[in-house]
Amino acid sequence: MAELTANQLPAAHDDHGHMSAEEHNENMKLGMWLYLASEIVIFSIMIVGYVLFRINQPDVVELAHGKLGVGLVTANTFVLLASSFFMVMGLRAMQNGNRAGMLRWIGLTALGGIVFLGGQYIEYSELAHLGIVLGYDTSSIWSTFGMRFYAPTFFHGAHVFVGVLWALEVMRRGAKGRYDDNPIGIEMFGLYWHFVDVVWIMLFTLIYLV
Amino acid sequence: MATIAVPLGGQQERQAIEAVRRPALSEYLRWSVDHKIIGVQYGVTALLFFLIGGAMAMAIRLELLTPNLDVMVSGAAYNSMFTMHGTIMIFLFIIPMWAAYGNYVVPLQLGAKDMAFPWLNAFAYWLIPPAGVVMLLGYFVSPAEAGWTSYPPLSTLFSGDGQTLWALGAHLLGLSSIFGSINFIVTILNMRPPEMTLWRMPLLCWAVLATSIIAVMATPFLAGALTLLLLDRMTGTTFFDASGGGDVLLWQNIFWFYSHPAVYIMVLPGMGVLSEVLSIHSRKPVFGYRMVGLSSMAIAIVGFTVWAHHMFTSLQPELRIPFMITSMIIAVPTGIKMFSWLGTIWGGKIHFTSAMLFALGFMSMFVIGGITGVMLAALPFDIHVHDTYFVVSHFHFVLFGGSVFAIYAALYHWFPKVTGRMMNERLGVIHFLFTYFGFLITFFPMHIVGMLGMPRRVAVFDPAFTDMNRLISFAAFVLGFSTFIVFYNIIHSYFRGQIAGANPWRALTLEWATTSPPPVTNFEDDPIPYEDPYGYGTEAASAYLDAVDQAFDGRRPASPGGH
Repeated sequence: MAELTANQLPAAHDDHGHMSAEEHNENMKLGMWLYLASEIVIFSIMIVGYVLFRINQPDVVELAHGKLGVGLVTANTFVLLASSFFMVMGLRAMQNGNRAGMLRWIGLTALGGIVFLGGQYIEYSELAHLGIVLGYDTSSIWSTFGMRFYAPTFFHGAHVFVGVLWALEVMRRGAKGRYDDNPIGIEMFGLYWHFVDVVWIMLFTLIYLV
Repeated sequence: MATIAVPLGGQQERQAIEAVRRPALSEYLRWSVDHKIIGVQYGVTALLFFLIGGAMAMAIRLELLTPNLDVMVSGAAYNSMFTMHGTIMIFLFIIPMWAAYGNYVVPLQLGAKDMAFPWLNAFAYWLIPPAGVVMLLGYFVSPAEAGWTSYPPLSTLFSGDGQTLWALGAHLLGLSSIFGSINFIVTILNMRPPEMTLWRMPLLCWAVLATSIIAVMATPFLAGALTLLLLDRMTGTTFFDASGGGDVLLWQNIFWFYSHPAVYIMVLPGMGVLSEVLSIHSRKPVFGYRMVGLSSMAIAIVGFTVWAHHMFTSLQPELRIPFMITSMIIAVPTGIKMFSWLGTIWGGKIHFTSAMLFALGFMSMFVIGGITGVMLAALPFDIHVHDTYFVVSHFHFVLFGGSVFAIYAALYHWFPKVTGRMMNERLGVIHFLFTYFGFLITFFPMHIVGMLGMPRRVAVFDPAFTDMNRLISFAAFVLGFSTFIVFYNIIHSYFRGQIAGANPWRALTLEWATTSPPPVTNFEDDPIPYEDPYGYGTEAASAYLDAVDQAFDGRRPASPGGH
């Protein structure tokens, strides 16, 4: 009848309960992509909300464009794009075993994020000065523009803020040598940071340019 | 002479296995990254919320014994009662309950040692108790009363602070659901041992995969909508307020774009359970295995195209027919499953265990819910019964007759694996009879009162419906009572139940090829799955099952001439 054979497979896991670094990295990447997919959905709701408003109320948006100006925000966009480049350089440095270089580049990435947030703060103050506020206000011509502008841009700004904190955490861990063997943690942050960047390009195009 | 590979076949390992004990109860109250502990945490939490939500249902039926407002202090109290009943049952019972089974069973069925992200897994669970508390805290301010669908302007202009807490709680639960689902997808795609190919995967894993894909793609819609709702409530924006340049239908569109797929989040794992239970307890292979797996995927995809059938009365008329058609199309993959199940048990050696009874109960009830679903998808009929008890009846047939029956079937089926002890079968049968008839007499008459025109979500109704509502209420109390039978059974069996052994149902899937409960690492090495997860009724399968029995329980094979 049945003949029992012990499990003769080569163990795919290096130890009980522990994944190999390669498996671990694959899992992290797939998980991160899925997470970003769900983030896209949340942003898309706000973006679509804005686009519908843009189509239905072109005059209000054009008036806003007249007031907004694109100088500051263009500079801000450039800073954010540059920080994405710094991020890639940081990952490259770590892959080449250059820990100090990685710390420098990721530090620049975080700095880019901080500058971006500062620019956004200045922009919000100017807009508030013009009377563009978040809440609905019957006395203002901007009454319905504010929420559709602030919701997506602030939600994005919050993501930049989280990204800056994450970059600092990557630096803290990196300084301890956490990524010397396996820079997946930096790559995870990189995926997130690129995502934040791509979303901004969408927002910049749709809100400021079109 | 079949050569059967059984994981952990050697005597030495047996010694190690015998040392396995059930985790101490205190381990369930702590942070743990073991998927088996987390699974039980999910399950017990969900069952506690089931009791709360059930008590609310009893209060609703008590109020509806008479056509006047007499039990509740006000109509608003009644509104908050059905709002919280629906919210708790959906967000805090059914969805976490599937996360419980998914967490406990899926890694075992795959032959994995744990989920892909154990820490994230624990985090996703620990979001749930605070979220539930936040929602219930609404009772200390002014509870949410806009229904579980929370349509503005009810949820923006006419609700108290409890509605804000409701939205915050739902937000946390959505986050938990997204994290949990990411974990399931990565686990199922990446954590399988080499022999566990996709087409050898048990159907519960297929169902959980499909469910998780829906949850990752749909739940963020809810998150986005809730964010805008919170802004409207707290910062004075007017996204959903037409008088402030907003759009009321925006909420309905986004909400149902999440919540219709969420219906499948609530029932697809149950369909996976059915395929397991029906096959194992009738000793027959699943009929059309691949089609059942693929139909889960088809439901996941088509589920995203039907949302506006919830809005037939508020939608642009020209969009109604397309949504009517997609809504009818989605009955096809569901029908595939139904026929597959019939084909599975056809001519099988059916064991009327409690798990099997509930699985058969699911089939009979879900077919009714499915047919009324197609009826409701038909536009002319829907306009007639819109917002009546017909709709209430329909979704209870799919969510109670479907999901909850499947939850019970899964409970009786996997309880031995989780606790090492069998549930009491006699009590299980009594529980089934009370539940089945209590359920049928509660919800079937609702079709009739609905077609006669009784609107839902009202505490005061036309006295002409009094007799029917009495009948419904008394049956509902029976149904409520049945819950205590199963709770008693759980507690009694946990301490006094018959020792189960590794594989009490003689099942071929991998969760049964380890001890009950399994050791912390589940398996000592990557286990080798049997060639066909549902290949019952062959000599090779019996030999494999005998070998499993012998390896784990030291039992001699029942057949003559054994090893």
